Amino acid sequence: MSSDFYTTSILPYAGIIIKICRAYTDSQEDFEDYYQEVCLQIWRSREQFRGESKWSTWIYRLSLNICLTLIKKKKNSRRHITSNYLPEEGTEDNSAFADESLNQLYDAIKQLSELDRAVILLYLEEKPYKEIGEIIGTTHNNIAVRITRIKERLKNLLDGKIN
Amino acid sequence: MEKSIESIWKEGFLEKNALVAPKLNDLYNQKSIDIVEKFRRMYKINIIAVAMFACILLPIATLVHIPYMGIMFFVLFGVIIFFAIQFKRKLDTINKNLNSYEYLKTFDNWTKEMIGFNTKLSRYLYPYVFLSMIAGFWFGSLGGDIPGNDLVNYLLIKNPDIILVFGVPLWGFIGVIAVVLLLAFFGGKIGEWDLKIGYGRILKRLDTLLTDMEALRRNT
Repeated sequence: MSSDFYTTSILPYAGIIIKICRAYTDSQEDFEDYYQEVCLQIWRSREQFRGESKWSTWIYRLSLNICLTLIKKKKNSRRHITSNYLPEEGTEDNSAFADESLNQLYDAIKQLSELDRAVILLYLEEKPYKEIGEIIGTTHNNIAVRITRIKERLKNLLDGKIN
Repeated sequence: MEKSIESIWKEGFLEKNALVAPKLNDLYNQKSIDIVEKFRRMYKINIIAVAMFACILLPIATLVHIPYMGIMFFVLFGVIIFFAIQFKRKLDTINKNLNSYEYLKTFDNWTKEMIGFNTKLSRYLYPYVFLSMIAGFWFGSLGGDIPGNDLVNYLLIKNPDIILVFGVPLWGFIGVIAVVLLLAFFGGKIGEWDLKIGYGRILKRLDTLLTDMEALRRNT
């Protein structure tokens, strides 16, 4: 990947990619793999960007799709291994961030379904419902209902942990 | 007071080290090693599988009274394994100390050479397979009756005017020659198709990776 492209077109949006990759991985090693794969795929797909949406929105969409694909691949490969010896998902890395509340929030987010994780990440990044709907591929109303439900679930999960 | 998830999110990411991007070093290096290692494993497994199949086929062919076919197949698999081992040795000599691009390029040249050789070999291989099968069923078991002769005798009784070429009915002879020629003509394509079934996915990944790396070399 060209270092120019990385510096000008990816690095300013690295925060988005980091936040998404963190939500879909359980260890630092996986996180770094996912991050690298997302950057590589963005670079590979750069010519498909037609400017119909903002570059940041496009990066969101691509990052989510890549993480969902990688997580599916990982699940498939896990099926081939005896699962008895594998650690439970979401238990390996609970301290990716210095802020304890953020770590707990991430732990809670990781307990959501893959699609709900994508929705709440976009919501927390203050994306308008319409844009979330476009990225996820559903209606504005559906997103509004879904977000209310997800927030309630997160609140329950976090209940008692954060004051 | 209980914090909202929105404020946890915002405040959490205010911390300056919260969003440090991992380094992108070694990405291609890792991918190059992965792809070649995967291919090497598959290639080795295939050689072992062919060797095992050859060893199993010979006694089975003898048991079902087609030993000539078994022997001819055994020789054929022996030749295939011999060349595969030569290619495997060549693959093992690829210098791992090269940079990722040169490493993959050398591997790509090796795959092209291997595919080219196998495509040429297939032009002889498929006709040979067909002739082995015909010979197997024609000559039957070792030292026993020859089913091919029995068939010709039966046909001669039914139709005494039948023309024989080297003791074989002319139409049968022409048919065999036609199939052999067809297999020699399409053998290369069949061989290519066969390799694609086995290694197609990994070779496609190799192509993509090389295209990326070449684009990168042009851009930097």
